[in-house]
Amino acid sequence: VLVSVICSPPQNYPLYIRSVPTENELKFHYTVHTSLDVVDEKISAMGKALVDQRELYLGLLYPTEDYKVYGYVTNSKVKFVMVVDSSNTALRDNEIRSMFRKLHNSYTDIMCNPFYNPGDCIRSRAFDNMVNSMMMQVC
Amino acid sequence: SRELFVLTYGALVAQLCKDYEKDEDVNTCLDRMGYGIGVRLIDDFLARSAVKKCRSYSETADMIAQVAFKMYLGVTPRVSCSSAAGNEFSLILDKNPLVDFVEELPAERASLCYCNLLCGVIRGALEMVHLAAEVTFLQDRLKGDAVTEIGITFLRKAEDRKHKRS
Repeated sequence: VLVSVICSPPQNYPLYIRSVPTENELKFHYTVHTSLDVVDEKISAMGKALVDQRELYLGLLYPTEDYKVYGYVTNSKVKFVMVVDSSNTALRDNEIRSMFRKLHNSYTDIMCNPFYNPGDCIRSRAFDNMVNSMMMQVC
Repeated sequence: SRELFVLTYGALVAQLCKDYEKDEDVNTCLDRMGYGIGVRLIDDFLARSAVKKCRSYSETADMIAQVAFKMYLGVTPRVSCSSAAGNEFSLILDKNPLVDFVEELPAERASLCYCNLLCGVIRGALEMVHLAAEVTFLQDRLKGDAVTEIGITFLRKAEDRKHKRS
């Protein structure tokens, strides 16, 4: 099971949510929403530290008995959240980092589209395909 | 600086879409702007490339594709002649740098010619060398076609400056 979400400031509403498999999506909405608080906490804890690639990736936000939540925040304060099944122990830190990097790259491509207004929901076939292929790799 | 150029063009088209409701108006506006650019760009092109005078329409079309496009956009379209009379040509672009970031046209802008500026540029440039032409998009990748194809139709022969001596 894998869910990824992108939220943007200042209202922090999700621009994009995708989960595999698609049932129980509401539960993941809730999980992601609560993890946003943890993300904000981590960002404020970092303070004025030099922001580089390592610190964009926030790591394991908090583990519960069912799943683990990972976070990643960009310099423009756009937050990416990923929820992974705890039973999926094969996923290592490096893989999660590279998945976040792919998400970030696709997100910047979307931003460059002149017809996309920042704050709109993300409706792009290329983005969907990228997320789908990433999730298929994991499950 | 290529990304800046592509993003600027995208912002221009997006702003025109906000200003005009109808796609035809946006297309016309892009064409007019391209025309203004073309009449000025031709002198820069002739000065920088120092090419010889073209003696036929097909030479002109080749010149546009192989020298001008390469110089300004970095791509070289293929040229094909599409009429027996020798005055209709097509430039076929496999890669169009202007649409690098645009995935597809938004649903309410289905008949927008995103790169119509290019048509105006070619038309304006040709007019300054006394060749009247009609330039339009025949195929557009953004609308689902396989390639992007620009059609150039030369309208009347270049003025013949030689006077016959009796």
